[in-house]
Amino acid sequence: MFTMGIDIGSSSSKVVILEDGVNIIAGEVIQIGTGSTGPKRVLDEALSKAGLTLQDMAKIIATGYGRSSVEEAHKQISEISCQAKGVFFLVPSAKIIIDIGGQDVKAIRLDSKGGVKQFFMNDKCAAGTGRFLDVMSRVLEVNLDEMAEYDSRATEPATVSSTCTVFAESEVISQLSNGVAKENIIAGVHQSVASKACGLAYRCGVEEDIVMCGGVAKDLGVVRAISKELKKPVIVAPNPQITAALGAAIFAFEEVIGANK
Amino acid sequence: MSRIESIISELSSISNNPKKAMEDYKKETGKGSVGVMPYYAPEEIIHAAGFLPVGIWGGQKSISKARAYLPPFACSIMQSVMEMQLEGVYDDLEAVLFPVPCDTLKCLSQKWKGTSPVIVFTHPQNRKLEAANKFLAEEYRLVREKLEKILSVQISDEALNNSIEIYNENRKVMREFTDIAANYPNIIDPIKRHAIIKARFFMEKSKHTAMVKELNSELIALPVEAFTGKKVVLTGIMAEPNEVLDILKDNGFAVVADDLAQESRLFRNDVPSGTDPLYRLAKWWQEFDGCSLAVDTKKSRGPMLMDMVKVYKADAVVVCMMKFCDPEEFDYPIYYRQFEEAGIKSLFIEIDLETTSFEQTKTRVQSFSEML
Repeated sequence: MFTMGIDIGSSSSKVVILEDGVNIIAGEVIQIGTGSTGPKRVLDEALSKAGLTLQDMAKIIATGYGRSSVEEAHKQISEISCQAKGVFFLVPSAKIIIDIGGQDVKAIRLDSKGGVKQFFMNDKCAAGTGRFLDVMSRVLEVNLDEMAEYDSRATEPATVSSTCTVFAESEVISQLSNGVAKENIIAGVHQSVASKACGLAYRCGVEEDIVMCGGVAKDLGVVRAISKELKKPVIVAPNPQITAALGAAIFAFEEVIGANK
Repeated sequence: MSRIESIISELSSISNNPKKAMEDYKKETGKGSVGVMPYYAPEEIIHAAGFLPVGIWGGQKSISKARAYLPPFACSIMQSVMEMQLEGVYDDLEAVLFPVPCDTLKCLSQKWKGTSPVIVFTHPQNRKLEAANKFLAEEYRLVREKLEKILSVQISDEALNNSIEIYNENRKVMREFTDIAANYPNIIDPIKRHAIIKARFFMEKSKHTAMVKELNSELIALPVEAFTGKKVVLTGIMAEPNEVLDILKDNGFAVVADDLAQESRLFRNDVPSGTDPLYRLAKWWQEFDGCSLAVDTKKSRGPMLMDMVKVYKADAVVVCMMKFCDPEEFDYPIYYRQFEEAGIKSLFIEIDLETTSFEQTKTRVQSFSEML
């Protein structure tokens, strides 16, 4: 039996096709999100990769910021519940999830069965989100996937505000014009993201294992900065961008099984 | 339309159109309205003068002109009040009563841009001393004096004591209403509940009392229906705009009690009995606890909320955090920890009157519903 989870975020679209609730047949990501062609394209890609059609899916659940706009879905579940489900499936020892996506930062505390015990989200502000890193990457003329490498060469991280993306951007421009090395600025940018995310994690109560997911988890500079701030190791979920879609696909499987019982 | 529906519809219409309520009052009595800024102003003094006290709580609107006068971190109630002042919205008011229990109010009271005269007074924060009652009674004496001058009326002790009784009756009926509404969440959804309460700000209180009293009687005559959703207690300054309440409703939540400064905090205590009306009004402030705007060394808000959860068999507390409200933000970590220790679930949502996008609130509320 196949089930599908579709996660439409603000800046990327993800689909997971699951066989019998355990085998990931397809896990596709396209780096454009809700309101774009991303949702359709990623759906087509996942089906094509799996050699399946929508009719083969026993159930489809949508999640993410654009969850309400997915016509193919039978149901919508919030990304917080889906992240918890997906991460717990991959890392059963997880207690705290830090999820940094395009425009949201979330800290989620799990109970012993992987259920959501508490969660906190960022305020309506881009500071500390993937969008914040996008803006910095553009100003610094460094690709997002190179930022971790730059960070690893930092000798003296710069101070970058975590209050506001616009203020932080002008700080970065000012540091660039003062000749501060990009490596040090990028380390400062990563610390800024970490301090925002850790503020939410502290509210949840920090407890190991701490697992990071969401697109920003692919930036190891941010992961290192969060680990340093929390003074604890941080595990990056395997394929961290698809964990919510995976959770949605698992929910879909559980609902079909439950309905068949 | 049933009598219940028609009462709710009438109160909702008043709550959505204060200007018309003011015009109707003027037509009926020949007297105007006096604005009442948040929080905890002695409306009774205005009532005793025969004028209509009108609550000023801002509104959902985008802010531009107010940016010239307020920093971006002033709460959105004050941002929208300032914007509306600059648009002349409050210029029909005969006067504005202006308490200053937070820094933003203190500063805003000194830069009122409307044309109505402003009467500023201070609530003492060292509240539990007898001296606080004397101080506040004197403040209220000055408020009365200024109102008498502006409105060209005399406000007698007798009239004031009479108004206090009218207000106490309204408080009692409102407490009954919120208790009854908790048993009929299928009829009194979060938006209707809010509108019925909010209408108090724009009606002569005995009229509001009569309508809510009738609504209460109609409701209790109905059998209590089963409710399949989740029950919550709201805490904070306010739960506006209505989109926030809509999201709660859409996710199957009923509001069974609240601790909002715009709602139950105003009527959970009566003004105590006595002969000197100004002293009675002052004493209300001394006896009032559990609000971030009133110094409370015992920090009783958390235990009060936990009691409400127990009494009303609520599933959780929803914290409606007014964006940039320092007093509320300082209180939060204290009662949040108390909730955690007691195993009480809570959801934190941000209240911002300027916002037009509610996706984050939707995600938070839906996740919370799934979590419960």
